[in-house]
Amino acid sequence: MSASVRGRAWFERLTGTARPVGGLPPSVLAADTTVDGHAVRAVAVVPDRSARFARARNGEMGIDEGFGVAAAVNGTPAGSAILAIVDVPGQAFGIREEAVGLQRALAASTQAYIRARRGGHPVLTLVVGKAISGAFLAHGLQGGWIGALDDAEIEIHVMSEAAVARVTRMERDDLARVAREIPATARDIRTFATFGAVDRIFAVSDPDAPSDADVAEVTRAFAEVLRTPELARRNPIERLDAPGALHTRALARRVRDELQAQWDV
Amino acid sequence: MTAPLLLTESFAERGARERARALLDPQSFRELIGPFERIASPYLAAQGVVPQSDDGTVVARGTIAGVRACVVATDGRFLGGSIGEIGGAKIAGALELARRDAQRGAPTRLVLALDTGGIRLQEANLGILAVSEICDAIVALRELMPVIAVIAGRVGVYGGLSLSTALCSEIIVSEGARVGLNGPDVVETESGIEEMDSSDRPLIWGVTGGRLRFRQGFASELVSDDVPAIRAAVERAFQAPNELGPLVAQAFPDPRLERDDFLRAMEIEL
Repeated sequence: MSASVRGRAWFERLTGTARPVGGLPPSVLAADTTVDGHAVRAVAVVPDRSARFARARNGEMGIDEGFGVAAAVNGTPAGSAILAIVDVPGQAFGIREEAVGLQRALAASTQAYIRARRGGHPVLTLVVGKAISGAFLAHGLQGGWIGALDDAEIEIHVMSEAAVARVTRMERDDLARVAREIPATARDIRTFATFGAVDRIFAVSDPDAPSDADVAEVTRAFAEVLRTPELARRNPIERLDAPGALHTRALARRVRDELQAQWDV
Repeated sequence: MTAPLLLTESFAERGARERARALLDPQSFRELIGPFERIASPYLAAQGVVPQSDDGTVVARGTIAGVRACVVATDGRFLGGSIGEIGGAKIAGALELARRDAQRGAPTRLVLALDTGGIRLQEANLGILAVSEICDAIVALRELMPVIAVIAGRVGVYGGLSLSTALCSEIIVSEGARVGLNGPDVVETESGIEEMDSSDRPLIWGVTGGRLRFRQGFASELVSDDVPAIRAAVERAFQAPNELGPLVAQAFPDPRLERDDFLRAMEIEL
């Protein structure tokens, strides 16, 4: 797998000359910048060819990345918003990570984002590349407001096609057909957005090397959100009330309603 | 007195409904959205899977040691206990209702009896959204009262739900259960058989088994596969909480070590 440059490219364009936050592993970038006068801590996970865990060298969320993102988010200055820049090809698939307890590392960053949002920090997410599985759960999906680039390279899923084929014992061709017929199994951002979790999709000229106009458009959108910060403090449950979700997640809504109706005798 | 016919009552051999029943006080079990309501997944038939009328997740109200409670149990025998739209909404919904009860001053004890390989691949997008809601709801409920996970099934807990489980106040784990992020099949497919041989059962239990997790301090109690022992652990968890430590990195050997040297340095038997 070739390592993606997008996470770093967008991080650098969006944070400019802001001083990086220290004490983090090389694969976790964080810097405090301002957007339209609002303080924002940007956080990204990027490839590190010399990472000490061999299975976490291509931008995956591993042990160091999970605890590193947690440290970056937990250290957000009072009053600052948080921006998660997402280009994560998945979690690290390594036996050392499993033994050490990868679920705890990813839970650490998940908990950090949740506590920050529930503690009043606006949390924005910008998906610029892959946003896969546990890695997306742990870095991005807890954002109160989620934006994404409109780009075919963006992939949102819980497992690679090869692994899905193995686990479900389906042929790759069948999986592709199913993805077209059943949106819940699709891997593209436009389909994912129909489920109500994506607030904005940006058409940009070059996702790998964002132009000044691309950066300006995204920054304008952030400024708009930060002027109404409660938009970026919404808890995930509120996504069920997004216009699209009324249809695409009707069953989840029905289950919630039934549970509530039957909860007390 | 005659000797008991069976020395232990297995928890792992029961289905989700019977596990929920076993954790609640006798005769207090009441299922919500039961199988006769037939809220089943509409996505499975087209993918060659016969759906199940409870979608593999059971929500039951009742009491634990006389106190209002809710147990959510997943069925590891149906699609690996995977979480799709319906099961995910059941779990997240129960967590949110328990929080509402706690805010009203009438707490409902919440137990997640999970046996799951993670997000259901056949409904992946809906599953990942549900798991993000579950994580948020666990953290929110924990602000008010403990959230207890029981991992004592044949599968254990993997995938997005292992991340959710790590957010709980306490994890009660059995020796036969496993707790890991990536299932052995997935590690083998993604990284090769030399990384992990998914048919090597001692290795898999060595690196993800309940005994290791308890030794690491990632589980609050290690139990045998025995219903009374697990019930007692759950009651203890509410009466005398023993919360897991914060989610911070612990010391581990240099990851550049050869695989087997690394595992030996962690005192994992090969």
